[in-house]
Amino acid sequence: MADFNLRKAEPKDVTDILRLIKELAKFEEMEEQVVLTEKELLEDGFGEHPFYHCLVAEVPADRRSRDGHTVVGFAMYYFTYDPWIGKLLYLEDFYVMPEYQGYGMGSHIFKRLSETAVKTRCSSMHFIVAEWNSKSIEFYKRRGAADLSLEEGWRLFEIDKQSLLKMAK
Amino acid sequence: MFLMLVGLLFRSKGQFSRFLGGLSWYYLKMDFTIRAATPEDCIDIFRMTRELSEYEKLSDQVKISLEDLKRNGFCQNPFYRCLIAEVPEEHKTKDGHVNVGYALFCYTYCTIKGKCVYLGDLYVMPEFRGKGIGKALMSSVAKVAKEQQCTNLQLSVLDWNTPSMDFYIAKGAQDLTKSEGWHSLRFHGAALDKLAEEAPKN
Repeated sequence: MADFNLRKAEPKDVTDILRLIKELAKFEEMEEQVVLTEKELLEDGFGEHPFYHCLVAEVPADRRSRDGHTVVGFAMYYFTYDPWIGKLLYLEDFYVMPEYQGYGMGSHIFKRLSETAVKTRCSSMHFIVAEWNSKSIEFYKRRGAADLSLEEGWRLFEIDKQSLLKMAK
Repeated sequence: MFLMLVGLLFRSKGQFSRFLGGLSWYYLKMDFTIRAATPEDCIDIFRMTRELSEYEKLSDQVKISLEDLKRNGFCQNPFYRCLIAEVPEEHKTKDGHVNVGYALFCYTYCTIKGKCVYLGDLYVMPEFRGKGIGKALMSSVAKVAKEQQCTNLQLSVLDWNTPSMDFYIAKGAQDLTKSEGWHSLRFHGAALDKLAEEAPKN
């Protein structure tokens, strides 16, 4: 297994976080949709009221990536609320660079997130997965995840900015 | 500090007009106010969340206590925000309630676009539907999202709940489960505890 350290992200990590966000978006064929900037990541994650929390996976310098990076994985999460069951930990993004996959890094990140959820007295950990991403779905289901869309019929809806502004008038 | 809404007064006159620099909505026969919830409202939020769970046939899933609701919504970094729809005394329910609807939401984050809002619950008591209260609650959440520079609003709807789906689609919502194949997954209870126990201790 590759040596690595899982730690809380710091302001200096925003460059790596954005790089990894774009790599994941490319894998999900959504790269051109990423409009977030390093400045926004910094303000939104490290201000007085953070909108998100982030873990990063870091390898020692002698195991850096082909492109010279030592931050090789991340998980971004935040807390939401269900008035029926209380606090939830919502996993927004979770990614390990391909050359570091298969060493248990993803599994460790995931378990650390679960530990965080339990320690902060969250009832559940929630996230979304694209139905074509069978590798990820298997990863989660092997670890006990339930597919609420299949099992209970929940559908995710989104109202985009244009429609939101129209409603706000 | 996140936004606390100024109360918007909606009065019945059957025509659109402006009031104190904000929009007023006019509907026949029913006054109502949309305002930010206070800790004292938690008892009504608690009551109405249970009514909604019964409608969605999931009342066995309701586990939270009134004390949890109060603590989680009114601490230094609240886990949720809530707007209340209130009617005047003369329109109160047969049980004496004037708080007849609510919208409960959270700030979330999208790595594609940034700050977002997730609408957890939107509910109006059955006897007060059809009077524009749901629409007004939705618009008020949209105003808050706009003021916080959020880029979109997300929510979840059960696939059999056609009236709700139609309501949101009419406002421009897209069903991402249908159009893009997104599924909601969850780790809960024993599955979550088991994962947490296996966490590395570095």
